[in-house]
Amino acid sequence: MRPLDEKETTLVFEKLFKFVGPNLKHIIDRPAVEGPDPSGYCFRLHKNRVYYASESLVRRATSISRPKLVSLGLPIGKITKSGQFRLTIHSLDLLTAHARNKIWLKPAAEMTFLYGNSVTKSMLARITENTKAGDGVVVLSMSDLPLGFGVAARSTQDCRKADTNAVVVHHQADNGEYLRNEEEL
Amino acid sequence: MGKRKNVILPPALPPETPDEEFQISDEDMEFFSENPKFTNFLTRIDKKQIDRHVTRVANKSEDEVERLYERKNRNAAPLDSLENDLHVDPVDALPIKTLDGKLQYRTNKKVSTREGKADTESAEEDDDSKSGTIRLTKAERRVKLKKERKETKKLNKDEDIAPDSPKEKIQSEVLKEVEEEISAEESFGMKKIKLAEIGTALLEDPEANIRSLRDLLQICEDRDPEVIKLGLMSMLAVFKDIIPSYRIRELTEKELAMQVSEAVRKTRYYEYTLLRSYKAYLQKLVALQKKPVFKQVAVRCMCTLLEVAPHFNFCETVLAGTIRNISSSDDVIRKLCCEAIKSLFKNEGKHGGEGTVRAVRLIAQLVKSRDCHLHPDSIYVFLSLRFDEDLGKPENKTEEKNKFKKNKKGNKQEDPMKQLLPSERKKSRQELIAKAREEVYADYRAVSFAPDSKERQRMQSDTLSAVFETYFRILKHAVDSSDPRSDTEMSRSHAHPLLAPCLDGLGKFSHLIDLDFMADLMSCLKQLSGFSSGTYLQTKTSDSSRSNNGLTVSERLQCCIVAFKIMKSNLDALNVDLQDFFVQLYNLLLEYRPHRDKGEVLAEALKTMLWDGRQHDMQRAAAFIKRLATFSLSFGTAEAMSALATLKQLLHKNTKCRSLLENDAGGGSISGFIVKYQPEVTDPYLSGALASVLWELSLLSKHYDPGVSQMVSNILSMANLKPTQNTVNPSLVALNPIQAFWESTIDKELSKPMNTKVPPSLKRKRKREGREYFVLDPEKMRNVENEVIGEEEVNVRFEEHFKVLRDISENERLKGELNRTLASINFFDEFKREREKEKSVGLKSGKKKAKVLVKCSSS
Repeated sequence: MRPLDEKETTLVFEKLFKFVGPNLKHIIDRPAVEGPDPSGYCFRLHKNRVYYASESLVRRATSISRPKLVSLGLPIGKITKSGQFRLTIHSLDLLTAHARNKIWLKPAAEMTFLYGNSVTKSMLARITENTKAGDGVVVLSMSDLPLGFGVAARSTQDCRKADTNAVVVHHQADNGEYLRNEEEL
Repeated sequence: MGKRKNVILPPALPPETPDEEFQISDEDMEFFSENPKFTNFLTRIDKKQIDRHVTRVANKSEDEVERLYERKNRNAAPLDSLENDLHVDPVDALPIKTLDGKLQYRTNKKVSTREGKADTESAEEDDDSKSGTIRLTKAERRVKLKKERKETKKLNKDEDIAPDSPKEKIQSEVLKEVEEEISAEESFGMKKIKLAEIGTALLEDPEANIRSLRDLLQICEDRDPEVIKLGLMSMLAVFKDIIPSYRIRELTEKELAMQVSEAVRKTRYYEYTLLRSYKAYLQKLVALQKKPVFKQVAVRCMCTLLEVAPHFNFCETVLAGTIRNISSSDDVIRKLCCEAIKSLFKNEGKHGGEGTVRAVRLIAQLVKSRDCHLHPDSIYVFLSLRFDEDLGKPENKTEEKNKFKKNKKGNKQEDPMKQLLPSERKKSRQELIAKAREEVYADYRAVSFAPDSKERQRMQSDTLSAVFETYFRILKHAVDSSDPRSDTEMSRSHAHPLLAPCLDGLGKFSHLIDLDFMADLMSCLKQLSGFSSGTYLQTKTSDSSRSNNGLTVSERLQCCIVAFKIMKSNLDALNVDLQDFFVQLYNLLLEYRPHRDKGEVLAEALKTMLWDGRQHDMQRAAAFIKRLATFSLSFGTAEAMSALATLKQLLHKNTKCRSLLENDAGGGSISGFIVKYQPEVTDPYLSGALASVLWELSLLSKHYDPGVSQMVSNILSMANLKPTQNTVNPSLVALNPIQAFWESTIDKELSKPMNTKVPPSLKRKRKREGREYFVLDPEKMRNVENEVIGEEEVNVRFEEHFKVLRDISENERLKGELNRTLASINFFDEFKREREKEKSVGLKSGKKKAKVLVKCSSS
């Protein structure tokens, strides 16, 4: 377990910024409430996975040897072998709380998305105004339950004109992965 | 023919105007002394002509003129006269003094030419009556010149040489002079009578008396402003009645060449004269508009003409004249113009939409040229525009219906046709009838005034584009000038007078906006509503001075409302969540101040954004619920009621948010990442409202207003419902924020006690007590408020009030004094008594002591 180096930090922050925009500040400066003297949250890298944990937790985790430590705090993504950073489905709650762009799915379309398919226009119930192509988008059900996240394929304006089968959001992760890729996670 | 050559018709006055009419009244003198500009004409006058005129008079009655001459020259220096004597023409020895004080002499030559020219002139006049408008202006000019001449005459104080009465005796003339002076008012009355006479004659039989329009016009050339005003108004009344319901067409050459019957020629002449005098009248109006004295009258005439005859010729002139004054600083004029334009928009049937297009374009141009600095009224007129959305549709429908009917008929007819095949004659006859009908219809279409639907559609789209062009221009202007970097406080204070009407209009016509404009429009609105563009929302909006772009809170709220309206009316395409505007509203709630900002705008914003909204994020809804509760705690009843109505609706829809009503803080798992409620955060998503408790409601349930406390207790009862249970009290849910706001504003509040239910026992009591509980009539209250109480009265009342106060304090003081004195007297009495007692005791003891001493000594 070690703190992220500079290159990794930029990778992680850039990715997060796509989803939360200026709210990234709130993720980093978030005050912690647990532990004897709560200070804040930080990012840690452990076995190529990036964790988001409170500092008190990190301090306590140091007492466990590296090979024995399985996980700590909230895993938010992993750094692939090719050196890229990927958000995993665990980060969904964090993203939802601070997301800038959201998409709500029609109840009938929820299952399709949870099977790992991209969001087409016909599945769309509601979309945040001012979404731009390439922005990170959190996908929710109509009852505000976060389902997953992805990348917007077209802006809100273009969505209007797009035909019903056009892809609006490219799939990145969804809650279905907890079942499908159980052993990988 | 130049002006010089155009010899003026000498004193022969138009026969119908009596001479005394041209007398200078005191008003005139005043007018000229006040407006020195108008005396310009004096310098432009052709003096020679005047001389000639006067000298001709001199020829006729020598002794009179001599007298005048002497009188005039009494003041002149003798040197002058000596000098002038050198130049004296032998033909007539009497020189005339002009205004400048120079003496002028008639020459022989001019007299000889005069007569011939007069002849040509009279010929010309005949010509005038037949020819076109250029001549008409010349005629006007001539009339003007005539008048000028007369004026100069008067200024020279030559009243007594009235040209019509050169041969009268001096005495009678002096008499007349006096009479004229007296009859200044009389002449005014006579003119009025004359106006009335001409007017009635015209209205009785316009075709026969159409020529007297010219007389009316001439009266309008009068010197007395009152007379001119009257003339203009009476002409207006005449035109109002005699203007036909069609547009008079210019005759083509061919038509002119054709032989026509007497009746047709008569009508043509009538139309022609009408048109010409109408034009002259309009020219006069336009000219008079520039003079401050006549401005109001001229504008009033124009406006009425626009309302009455938007279809008639020269409508453009009238329209242009009206729109020029639409943002006049004079309230009356502006209101008149606006009303006229509104009626133009409303009665499209009268002019078939052409006028609307033209007016809208003119206003758009005006806005452009004035750089959006106009009076808001001028844009508010757009609100009375009407756009027929399904233009063309109904016609298609009827056509379809007809087809359907025809088919039906055809079907029905087919069967008998089969049976009666040989009746071909009938068939052909039917065809003939159909053909004739079609022809008639085509003719009717050609003649009828209403343009077909395609034409109307085109006009509507033109109008619409002009309107939106104006709106977008205003928005853009507002955005550009409200750039936070250009900090010019002066211009900010009231820089966007047009924004409010523009937003109103956008809201009203939101369903007609093209989807292509939508993105730009939204970004404009977002900027105006105070959303600092760029990604660093948090840092920027946190210091409110920078996010505040010079617009008032109500204006910014209105921006939000408009954005929502636009979105809602175009939601068929896509359901878009306007997150940024919610953030704006969330922050604007804090900036709202009850008396500075308009409460109804806030109520409307709450309604359109929160109450009507179908779906809300849980986080956002919770944040709004919390903020609204806090808000209603700190403002008046009306605001509180509208906020509470919204809050209720939000709770009603978002069942999860009802955990706010629970008594333990910390929303548990649903509160998300923010564990503590942060009231001052600008983003509703980050406020962590779910972790808080709506303690405000329990305070509000003790609100002094029964409506509020009832509402709150109703909301509180929602906590006991199961999440799935949604029916609380349909009557209260139905109350929307705007209704709630209006119902609890002051006026309603005053009349409310009448409706409150009184328990029966109390009721009986009250009845017995009679009039002790009387309810103030809200009307009365308002009257009392509005009543302007004189300063004296106020003084008197204050005096009384303070007198009473002073008396009271005086009374208290005196009472205190009295008490003190009484107390001291009592004390003194006591003291006396005590002392006496003491004395007696002392004496006794003294005696005792003495006795003891005596005893001691004795022992």
